[in-house]
Amino acid sequence: MSTSAPQTEIAIHRVAGGPSQRMGFFTDTSVCIGCKACEVACKQWNDLPADGSQTGKGVSYDHTGDLSASTWRHVRFVELLEPSPQLREEAERALINGAGGHLPSIPAAGAIDVTEGTHKLGDWVFMSDVCRHCTNAGCLDACPTGALIRTEHQTVVLQADVCNGCGYCVPACPFGVVDRDPIDGRAGKCTLCYDRLEDGLEPACAKSCPTDSIQFGPHDELVEIASRRVAELHSRGIDGAYLYGAGDGPEEQLAGGLGAFFLLTEPPERYGLPAHADSPVQENVVPATLAAVAAGLLAGAGTVLAFAVAARRGRGGRGGGSW
Amino acid sequence: MNREHGWEGPLEHAGEAAELAAGHAPPDNARAREAHWVSDHDTETRDIRPALGARGGPGPWNAAEPGAPVALARPDFGDARWSYLYKARDTDYAGAQPDADLVAEANRRMRDAPVSDVRGPFIHAPVWSGMVATYFWLGGMASGSAFVSLACDAAGDHRSAAIARKVAVAVVSPAPALLIADLGRPERFLNMTRIFKPRSPMNTGAWCLVAFSASGALAVGCDEIGRPKAARGLGALTALFGSYLGSYTGVLLACTAVPVWSGSRTILGPAFVATATATGAAATRLVLVASGLPHGHPTRKALGTIETTAMLTELSISALGERRLGDAARALRGDRPGLYFRSAKSLVSLGLSLRLLARRTGGREHELASVAYLAAGLLFRFAWVSAGEPSARDDAVVAAMARERGGPQAGRRPWQARALSSRRPPWPLPDVIRRTYGEAIRRTSLAIERRLSAVSRDVQERHEELVRQGEGADGAGPGHGQVEVAG
Repeated sequence: MSTSAPQTEIAIHRVAGGPSQRMGFFTDTSVCIGCKACEVACKQWNDLPADGSQTGKGVSYDHTGDLSASTWRHVRFVELLEPSPQLREEAERALINGAGGHLPSIPAAGAIDVTEGTHKLGDWVFMSDVCRHCTNAGCLDACPTGALIRTEHQTVVLQADVCNGCGYCVPACPFGVVDRDPIDGRAGKCTLCYDRLEDGLEPACAKSCPTDSIQFGPHDELVEIASRRVAELHSRGIDGAYLYGAGDGPEEQLAGGLGAFFLLTEPPERYGLPAHADSPVQENVVPATLAAVAAGLLAGAGTVLAFAVAARRGRGGRGGGSW
Repeated sequence: MNREHGWEGPLEHAGEAAELAAGHAPPDNARAREAHWVSDHDTETRDIRPALGARGGPGPWNAAEPGAPVALARPDFGDARWSYLYKARDTDYAGAQPDADLVAEANRRMRDAPVSDVRGPFIHAPVWSGMVATYFWLGGMASGSAFVSLACDAAGDHRSAAIARKVAVAVVSPAPALLIADLGRPERFLNMTRIFKPRSPMNTGAWCLVAFSASGALAVGCDEIGRPKAARGLGALTALFGSYLGSYTGVLLACTAVPVWSGSRTILGPAFVATATATGAAATRLVLVASGLPHGHPTRKALGTIETTAMLTELSISALGERRLGDAARALRGDRPGLYFRSAKSLVSLGLSLRLLARRTGGREHELASVAYLAAGLLFRFAWVSAGEPSARDDAVVAAMARERGGPQAGRRPWQARALSSRRPPWPLPDVIRRTYGEAIRRTSLAIERRLSAVSRDVQERHEELVRQGEGADGAGPGHGQVEVAG
C-alpha cells in the first residue's frame, strides 16, 4: 500500500509513426476578461500547489505575478497608464455631465481639471500567458538529460521522472516560462495537458475559459481563425490588433513559430514579451563554441610556447632571475 | 481557528477539516510548502485547507469504469472545436476573410513600433548557486594544469609534468560533488549522462568532465606504476579534453536568454579559458614550489609568465566585452557582481605589483602573487555567474536586446540555420541500445532516489516516535513539542 499521494510521474515516449498533427493554443486577448478561471483550472487539473498568493505587490492588481514551476497559466494584467481614446472620451463626457460615470474614483466635474483627471485614468488589458511550445524551443535544446521532449502533438513536455533539476532550461527560455520549483527541485511548465490530449479532451484552461479567449485545436486551423479575427478587428478600426507568434514571414518568426500564440493589441513589450526571440542555444552555440574551443587550443599552444621560450633562455645562461 | 471575521462567511459552514485517511499523509513536499507559507501568512485568520480532498493528497474522485473512454471526449478533439464565438454565422467574432499579408504587415508594424512602455518580467533569472561558479573555477584550474603538464612534457621536464597531472586530478575531483549538490534533485545526477546531446552545452560538458577525469586519473595511475610514455600520451589527451572543459562553461552561459551572457557569447569562452590557464598555472606553480623545484628553474619562470600573461589577457577580453555589451554591462557593475569584479581586478593588480617587487627582492612575493591570481580567478567566475540574475531582471535591457536581435535579417548564414528542436537521435547508435541505455540510467536514478527518500523517511519516523515516547513518559499531551524537564 502506498504511504502517501501516488507518484504523479509520467514517462512519455513518442510513438514512431503516430499521428503528428500540431496542436496548440490561440489566446485572444481582445476577448479576455481577466477572470483567471484558466489559472484555477490549470492548478486543479494538474494538481499544482498554490504559490502562497501575495496581495499588495504594489504595482498591479495581479497577485500571481509570473509563470512559475507551479503556475502554468498566468493571466497577466497590463494596467495601461494611458487611457484608450474611447475611454478618455467617455470619461470626459462623464466628467462634464457631472455624473462621475462608471468611474467611481473620479470626483464630480469642476473639482479637478478634466484633462489632468483623464490623464490619470487606467485601462486594463489582460493576457493569459502560457508556455509557447516553440518550434525552436530553447528549453528543449538546453536540457542535458532529455527530460524535455517533443511529443506526437508537437508540444514540448517535461518528463518529471527524468528531470534532475539542473536549472539550465530556466535561463534558456526566452519567454520566461519554465522555472525550477524551490521545494520540489524539478522544473515545471505547461504540458498542453498531455494527459487530457491522450484521452481526446481539450486542455483544462481552454475548457474553462468562459469567453473562448483561449482556443485549442490543430495549429493550422487556429492560425486561420486568428487571421480572420485580426482582419475582423482591423475592419472595425482596431488597427493595433496583431498576432504574436503566428502569421509572420519566414524570416521574422518568433522561435520558428509558436505552438501557443496570441492576439495582442499593444506593442509586445507592454505584456513583457520580447519583440523578437529564438532558441538561445541555437542562436549562440556555434559561435560561442568556436570562440571557446579556439581559445582553449590557443591557450594550450601558448602554454607550450611559454615553456619553450623559458627553456631556451635558461640554456642561454640568463638564469631564472628572481624565479 | 479564529472565525471572528464575518467576511469569511462560507468558511463558517465548511465543517471540520477532513481527517487524513490512514496512508494519506501529505507528502514531505506539501509539508515543506505549508511551513513556508505559514511563516508568511497569518494562519489564524486564513484557512489554507484545500477545497477538495486532503492536504497534499489526491482528489477524491475515481473513474466509474477503469479504462473506459472519457465520457465527454469526442473524436478528433470535437469538444474543443465547438464554439459559439468563432462560428461566423453566430457572431462576428472572426467574420472577415483571412488575409496573410495584412496579418504579416500588422505583426511587423506592432513588433517594430516604438517602445513606450516596457513591463516585465520578461525572463526568469538563473537559479544556480555559488557552487556552480566554484565548479567553473575548479574545472578551469584543472584544465590549466593539464595544459601545464603537456607543456612540461614538451619541454622535457617530466617530473613537473607528473606533478601537474596530479594537480589536475586533485583539483577536478571535488567538481562532480559541487555540480550534484547544485541540482534540484541531486539523487538523479546520473541522468546527466542518460543521453549524448551535442546541442546542449551542459550535456557535452558533463561528458567532457567524465572524460577528463577518467583520462587524468589513468595518466596519474600510469605515472604511479611506472609507465611514463603512456602517462604522457594520456596527459596530452587530458589536455585536449581540458581545452573544452575550461571553455565550455562560457558556452553554457552564452547559450541562454540572459542579456549579459548571450551578449558576450564570443567573449565568455576566451575569457574563461584565460582565467583557467592562469589559475591552472598558479596552482601548479605553488605545488611545484612546495615540492622543492629549485629556484631559477625554467619551469617556475615559464609558469609565472603564463600566469601574468593569461590574467592580463582576461582583463583585456573582459574590458572589450564590457564595451561591446553596452547597456547590458550594467549587470556587471551592479551590487555583488560589481564588487566581485572590482576585487578580482585589484587582486590581479596586486599580483602584478608583487611580481615586480619580487624582481628586486627575489623573495616569496612570487608565491603570494600566484595566490592572488587564484583568488582573482574565483572572483571572476563569481562575478560572471552572479551577473546573470540582475541582468535577467533588467527588463529594459532584455527588451532592447530582443529588438536589436530582430533587425533586418538579410538571409541567415548556413551556421545560423534553425531546426525544429525535436527529439533527434542523439547517439550514432542503434535505437535499441540507445533506449536500453537511457532507460537503465533513468531507472537507476529513480531507484537511488526512492532508496534515499525511504531512508530519510525512516529517520524522521524514528525521530517522531522517540519524541512521542518522551512525551508519554513525561505525561505531556500531544501537540506540546516542548517538554519541561524538572530540576
